[in-house]
Amino acid sequence: MTPNLIAASMFGAMLVLLFSGQRMFGMIGFVAVVAALMLWGDRGGYDLAFAQSIKLMSWFPLMTLPMFIFMGYVLSESRLADDLYRMFHVWFGPVPGGLAIGTIFLMVLISAMNGLSVAGMAIGATIALPELLRRNYDKLMVTGVIQAGSSLGILIPPSVVLVLYAMIARQPVGKLWLAGVLPGLMMAGMFIFYIWIRCKITPSLGPALSSEERAQVTRAEKLRLLSAGLLPFAIFLAMMVPFVTGYVRLVESSVIGALAATLAAIVKGRMTWTVFETASRQTLAISCMFLWIILAALAFGAIFDGLRAVDALKALFLEDLGLNRWHVLILMQLTFLLMGTFLDDTAMLVIVAPLYVPLVDALGFNLIWYGVLYTITTQIAYMTPPFGYNLFLMRAMAPPEITLRDIYRSIIPFVGVMVLALALVIAFPQIAMWLPDTLYKQ
Amino acid sequence: MPEWIKKYVRFTEALNYRVGRFAMYLLFVLMGVMLWSSFSRTALTPAIWTDETGQFLLLGYFMLGGAYSLQLDSAVRMDLFYSRWSDRTKAFVDVITILALVFYLGVLLYGAVESTAYAIEYGERRRGLWRPYMWPVKTVMCIGITLMILQSTAIFFKDLAKLWGKEL
Repeated sequence: MTPNLIAASMFGAMLVLLFSGQRMFGMIGFVAVVAALMLWGDRGGYDLAFAQSIKLMSWFPLMTLPMFIFMGYVLSESRLADDLYRMFHVWFGPVPGGLAIGTIFLMVLISAMNGLSVAGMAIGATIALPELLRRNYDKLMVTGVIQAGSSLGILIPPSVVLVLYAMIARQPVGKLWLAGVLPGLMMAGMFIFYIWIRCKITPSLGPALSSEERAQVTRAEKLRLLSAGLLPFAIFLAMMVPFVTGYVRLVESSVIGALAATLAAIVKGRMTWTVFETASRQTLAISCMFLWIILAALAFGAIFDGLRAVDALKALFLEDLGLNRWHVLILMQLTFLLMGTFLDDTAMLVIVAPLYVPLVDALGFNLIWYGVLYTITTQIAYMTPPFGYNLFLMRAMAPPEITLRDIYRSIIPFVGVMVLALALVIAFPQIAMWLPDTLYKQ
Repeated sequence: MPEWIKKYVRFTEALNYRVGRFAMYLLFVLMGVMLWSSFSRTALTPAIWTDETGQFLLLGYFMLGGAYSLQLDSAVRMDLFYSRWSDRTKAFVDVITILALVFYLGVLLYGAVESTAYAIEYGERRRGLWRPYMWPVKTVMCIGITLMILQSTAIFFKDLAKLWGKEL
């Protein structure tokens, strides 16, 4: 069999097994070890799967993964974000669609304090959602805002997705995170602009607070609430300043972040045993889930490496099909999006990256820049039906009057905005590269 | 179901629960080690043992925690079809596919045991300043993978019992 055929049959076998609904790490690992045994069984193929665990261990920044997951759970379980939300609520209330805009700001701040979109989603659905519905915001607008906003969590640093990408692409995490900052803020800005325009044209989508209601909040109260916004900045600075100035390394800064969030919860008197136990248990569960899938996916990727499937793919695209490298890149993002609609997001993260990243490298593109494209595409995939982590989370957390159909419909305009952002970053790589290039030049 | 299977399932679940709860707290040990690392680098002489210790702890965290995370059912499944099946169909498919999962874990364990035997025989050390021995961490990995196999087998029995309309 040719390498292409082996690679294709591995991929096919894996898809069939994944659709059986069995735990993913086992199915990916099974295909990998069977292929390894068949290809190199006489030359240490049985060892290939285990050898990946040493590779996994040697990759130092992986330690940030449980730290950021823990941090996210502490933040959402201890409900530290309640005050934050009230702050945005009061300050943005008078603007049309102001509460929705405030929710996006809230999500940006939460994104800067944790690495996954789950925490943002949980906070959005428990704090912002009921409040927005009570104020007669359009329910499609509300669910769309929360899902779109929480997806920023994986683009704005610290980002767990970029940590995983960094491992596969062998790129520095710090640079990748910096590259995510401006595109993340740009996307948040585009969301806000969209909400503002929509609510300006159709005020019933997001009514502004009435003047009586605004009068109830005194100036002193407004200023007091502003201090709630200091908390995320304090946590973010505690985490980032020692890192940027070079006192601590990335991993250590993630520890500081986790401890700072814990400390904040203790100071606010919200750190009960239940919160602590839930956060620790969930961190173990989610970290194990990620790490076991990565372990299996690394074995899968190692076989693709061994087969030189990337060279074959490159030859197929560039020579046999006569495409140029930009065609291939855009084609890759399109298939990525397509796969995102039916593949589980975690599967995409670990299966698509080992396949695409070497190809992107072979085509001569910048892997830091591609990391941002990759993350935005994952964000979109998080939100597109029928599979979408955020869609399911939203369904699980939203009140019953919001149907799955509403949730599906609500994301359409936001996905449009995200595709636009993706196109902008493809067309103008400087959006992503300016910050890391400037800071790393010094 | 024979009595010994029930006993096996109960024993495995209790064992993995305890090991998993232990692993859960390794996270905080890891935090302590990393803090000491940055503290000693800025204030004292840099500690040479922290990086490797941290890596070993992380590996132990997810190897020993793996079986407990299976108990918590946190492993991701692709549930496009799976979620629409009846509990019986789910159990039926799971009983077959989990054999593939156990096969993967078996190959993993084979590699782990072989690698551990090598590490003990030749006194393998990790490269670097501190040069720790590799056999302890590899032994932990063997234990973790074994616990995963035990837990998967327990899950297999539970699904089998479900097919007979019983709960284990």
